[in-house]
Amino acid sequence: MQTTNFGTIAYEPDSELEFPCGLPGFDSRKRFVAVRFVESDPLIYLQSLEDPALCFVTMPILSVDPRYRLKVTTEDLGQLGLPAVRQPRIGEDVLCLTVLAIRETGPTANLLAPIVINLKTRRAVQAIAPESEYSHQFELMSEEVALCS
Amino acid sequence: MSRREGETILIGDEIEIVIAHIGRSRVKVGIRAPRQMPVIAREIKLVCEENLAAAAGTSPAALSGLIARLQPASRND
Repeated sequence: MQTTNFGTIAYEPDSELEFPCGLPGFDSRKRFVAVRFVESDPLIYLQSLEDPALCFVTMPILSVDPRYRLKVTTEDLGQLGLPAVRQPRIGEDVLCLTVLAIRETGPTANLLAPIVINLKTRRAVQAIAPESEYSHQFELMSEEVALCS
Repeated sequence: MSRREGETILIGDEIEIVIAHIGRSRVKVGIRAPRQMPVIAREIKLVCEENLAAAAGTSPAALSGLIARLQPASRND
């Protein structure tokens, strides 16, 4: 697959992530792969398979906030094909990434709407947390955030 | 303005907001508006804008500073 940022990348078909509803602002982009490089660890790039130029920079949400409490709505759990009886566990049921925006004032992480990926089925949603206190522009550089990779 | 369940608010001639149901911690609201007028929750718009900003700034050069910050200082070799 040809990409704007990484040249040609190869991926296994079963590593494809499916966003049934796309992402807010990118509703028609439903297929992505997660790309990692040793040099840029702990960053994980979400590369669109439908738009070579579309790539989100993300990182594991627990690397930004080790005590992050995931809250997924019943609707989003349904999209993910997960039972609505309890919240999914990060690392066991789901992979949870936060989308970074690189601004002039410094990078920010969207903790309000993490990307949640069902580890078994690779179905994914950007899950906007209901009644959340988390910021959509959490500043990564401002304080001594305990960043651990 | 205070409203009871089932009561309505009008905004201009074309927008109607009905307090459909009042629960313990949330309120169900019905909105009637012209088709061309988007009706979405505020946080969806915030996330939309964040995603657009995130997708705009993925140049590798802009990332190198961030990567340097994220990786442990001991990794020089």
